[in-house]
Amino acid sequence: MSETTDNASTFAILTDTTLCTGCETCVHACKQTYQLGRDRAWRWKTKIDDLSSTRFTTIVTRPGGKHVRQQCRHCLEPACVSACLVGALQKTALGPVTYDQDRCMGCRYCMMACPYGIPRYVWESPVPYVRKCIMCYDRIKDGGQPACTESCPYGATIFGTRAEMLEEARRRITENPHKYYPHGEPHIYGEHEVGGVSVLYISDISLEFLGWQAELGTEPVPALTWGALSKVPPIALGVAAAMSGIYWVIGRRMRLQAEAAERAAQEGADG
Amino acid sequence: MAEFAPHGTNLTLERVKTGLWACMGVWAVVTVARFANGLGATSGLTDVAPWGFWIAFDVMAGVALAAGGFVIAAVVYIFGLEKYHQFARPAILTALLGYIAVAVGLLYDLGLPWHIWHPMIMPQHHSVLFEVAMCVMLYLTVLALEFSPAILEHPLFHRPFFQRVLAIIKSLTIPLVIAGIVLSCLHQSSLGSLFLIQPYRLHPLWYSPIMYVLFLVSAVGLGLMMVTLESLISAWLFGHPVRKDLLAGLGRVASYVLSIYVLLRLGDLYRRGILPDALDGSWPAGLFLFELLLSAVVPATLLAIPRIRRSVAGLATCSSMTVLGVVLYRFDTCLVAFSRPEEMPYFPTWIELAVSAGIVSGAALVFIFFNENLRIVDAHGHVTPPEAAPPEDQHHGTSNAWRRHSLAFVIAAACAIGFLPEQAVFGPHPEPTPVHQSRTVEALAIAANPPVRRMFHLSSLGGSVPATAAPEPVSVKVIDGNRNWRFVPFTHDDHVAALGQRESCRVCHHQNMTFDQNTGCFECHRDMYEITDTFDHVLHIRRLGGNASCMVCHPDDAPRKSRDTALTCWECHGDMVVRGSIIPTTGAGLTGYAPGYVEAMHGLCIRCHEQLSERFPEHYGTEFGRCDVCHREFQDTDHRRLAPYVPMPPGHVPLLEAAAIEAPPLSVVPVTTRG
Repeated sequence: MSETTDNASTFAILTDTTLCTGCETCVHACKQTYQLGRDRAWRWKTKIDDLSSTRFTTIVTRPGGKHVRQQCRHCLEPACVSACLVGALQKTALGPVTYDQDRCMGCRYCMMACPYGIPRYVWESPVPYVRKCIMCYDRIKDGGQPACTESCPYGATIFGTRAEMLEEARRRITENPHKYYPHGEPHIYGEHEVGGVSVLYISDISLEFLGWQAELGTEPVPALTWGALSKVPPIALGVAAAMSGIYWVIGRRMRLQAEAAERAAQEGADG
Repeated sequence: MAEFAPHGTNLTLERVKTGLWACMGVWAVVTVARFANGLGATSGLTDVAPWGFWIAFDVMAGVALAAGGFVIAAVVYIFGLEKYHQFARPAILTALLGYIAVAVGLLYDLGLPWHIWHPMIMPQHHSVLFEVAMCVMLYLTVLALEFSPAILEHPLFHRPFFQRVLAIIKSLTIPLVIAGIVLSCLHQSSLGSLFLIQPYRLHPLWYSPIMYVLFLVSAVGLGLMMVTLESLISAWLFGHPVRKDLLAGLGRVASYVLSIYVLLRLGDLYRRGILPDALDGSWPAGLFLFELLLSAVVPATLLAIPRIRRSVAGLATCSSMTVLGVVLYRFDTCLVAFSRPEEMPYFPTWIELAVSAGIVSGAALVFIFFNENLRIVDAHGHVTPPEAAPPEDQHHGTSNAWRRHSLAFVIAAACAIGFLPEQAVFGPHPEPTPVHQSRTVEALAIAANPPVRRMFHLSSLGGSVPATAAPEPVSVKVIDGNRNWRFVPFTHDDHVAALGQRESCRVCHHQNMTFDQNTGCFECHRDMYEITDTFDHVLHIRRLGGNASCMVCHPDDAPRKSRDTALTCWECHGDMVVRGSIIPTTGAGLTGYAPGYVEAMHGLCIRCHEQLSERFPEHYGTEFGRCDVCHREFQDTDHRRLAPYVPMPPGHVPLLEAAAIEAPPLSVVPVTTRG
């Protein structure tokens, strides 16, 4: 998917952390929409309010009372979708990355692949599934908007087409270039990272902590494996051909050697 | 070397088999635990370590260790080096069992193992894992076909039909071998490609754009060394002669292959300019060097010396080093060199280790069984003739052996049951999060901007408040049950005043401890998130007079005494229940259970706040029920702002008619107490 062509038709979320008060209304709207129930202190959870199978979105509090909403970024070229070997994770045309638990086999390669470490697992269940934000696909398919953006009382997180969201983000940072980070030359987080994502952030603090590494490249992650994977058919054919060739050559040489030896033996017997 | 004579007298072999059966006993127990209670209860896996020991050992290392099959098949059938033919069948059998072990191990690791066939009908060909899955499935089939002659040669199958099948399979040997090589090359390398998608998580000393080449070359080297090690172990177990001349030949090739691997690995680091990182003395660098020395540098150097590669000790040392080293390479790539938050380290549980040990033991037992009953080692080596042993002796020996093996199995299983952690037996349960009592502190209330009208400045925190702020001394309860500093400053006095002075206690305080008045919340709601059982059965039995006292609380003659059929608390402790509270404590299923602290506090506060917001919007605003009205982060600013403060509205009517305020729906679900 090229970046510019689909911006007008795919949806995106813009989160402005300067407006967020950390009230968690979005978290509870999400919990109610998907009936996620209460959070519990399992072994595999260091923080009760971390992303989990009962929390598709959460508020990360940073020093200085800054609040950043964390959720699936719905990458334009998602690593999880390319990693899923049964197509349980799909990038929909509208923008959300959805999950079909009837296809999933539970290999958890998506969790390994995600550059933001988003997908969570229902570890406590003997029939576990992957859990993550799906940008309320069913709601936006019917013309609605995600529960989180709808519920936000401060307009800190808003929903629209990716083009609109980029435009709005640019408008805000152009109006207040010194309010946003990096000051003077603000950055729209998610515009180009890992090939662009559908959940954009503008912020007054650095959001590097949201990825696994400070600097996520602009190259889509799936391209890294596709380079190796696309070589599979030629390599398979090449190895097969090489092996057949070697077998034929060596077999022929051995046959010739055997014949020569036989001839020599015969000549010896004749002579 | 153990002597190999009549069946059942090979002591070494019998001891090894008994040990393997013991592992199988443990395995049987942990298998039940794994599938009954899920991954969370039995493994050490977490959301930041979604792949653990099973993937690293059973899959990554397992596939690499089984590489001997395709390497030897290539050497013998494609390169025509017939003298190595005697290694072919053991190597193919090892590969077959290795791949079956991989598949079985995967069944434990997959969350939904009954969906393991999904890649066949729901292919997603952009996934490296899809390629690995298909190659492994196909290669397993190829290996089964390659090995099937050994089974079909058994006297049991001396029938025309089976012999025809055997002839067909034998005529397909070369295509099968070539298919096996192609599939092996693909998935051995693809196991490396799997990690190409994780440039941000894998340490640069292991992450490399040519990981697939490194995985393939190291697998070939490992395959040769694995054949060597296995043939040494077979010789030790079954008393075969060691063919040192042949093994030396394999060792020489392995030396070349491992050298190529070292050059590729270092050359790649050099090309990417991070070779100095490998020598900077950090612990990943140390691990990298140790791994490379163990897996390739030392064995390749030693094997290059003819005297060493012709000695059993030299071969055993080198092959063990490579096997351990390449397995370590897979572990490093998959587990160790992976970045994850420091507070969430991964360490496998013993259950994970026992599953893998059990799978390996099972494979080893099948290997031994085939060696005893099929023609695995070719005519050049020593062949076990099972039918040569006298029938009655064999029968006697077998039944004795079975008795010993069953005993080992049962004892090991019993020990495993004893050592199972509680969660693996009864299912996962959350960690306890004890509640800490709130503290009453002095504070100064200062005016703030609407909708937050007043802020609290805790006197204990020091600092200063500007006189212009007109501070007013108040007493504040700091409610921070789990001590995470996201506390709620609760003005008890103001709530008392707002709700109707002393008469109002019962609005919120709904249940007392015996002899107590207005018991604090934390006394019963003792866990932040989980339901607490507040009833002390043992204490009651002791106070009421032992076993004779059952009838005091369980007056009915029903045979089953349970909490549902017992008297309710307040039938004896009338003073416990506070009448007229907005919190119900006397409904069905509420006896003796207190919901989690968070749920209890939210249930008590939010409903009232919301209703005040609806009734008096002009005073409380329309958002009085929202989270951030009460929850504020501790901030180290000048004024140490903590929380908003809302004074009573003018002309306030005490809310003791709060009976009008409906009881919040507390969802207390009765839980069965664990025996």
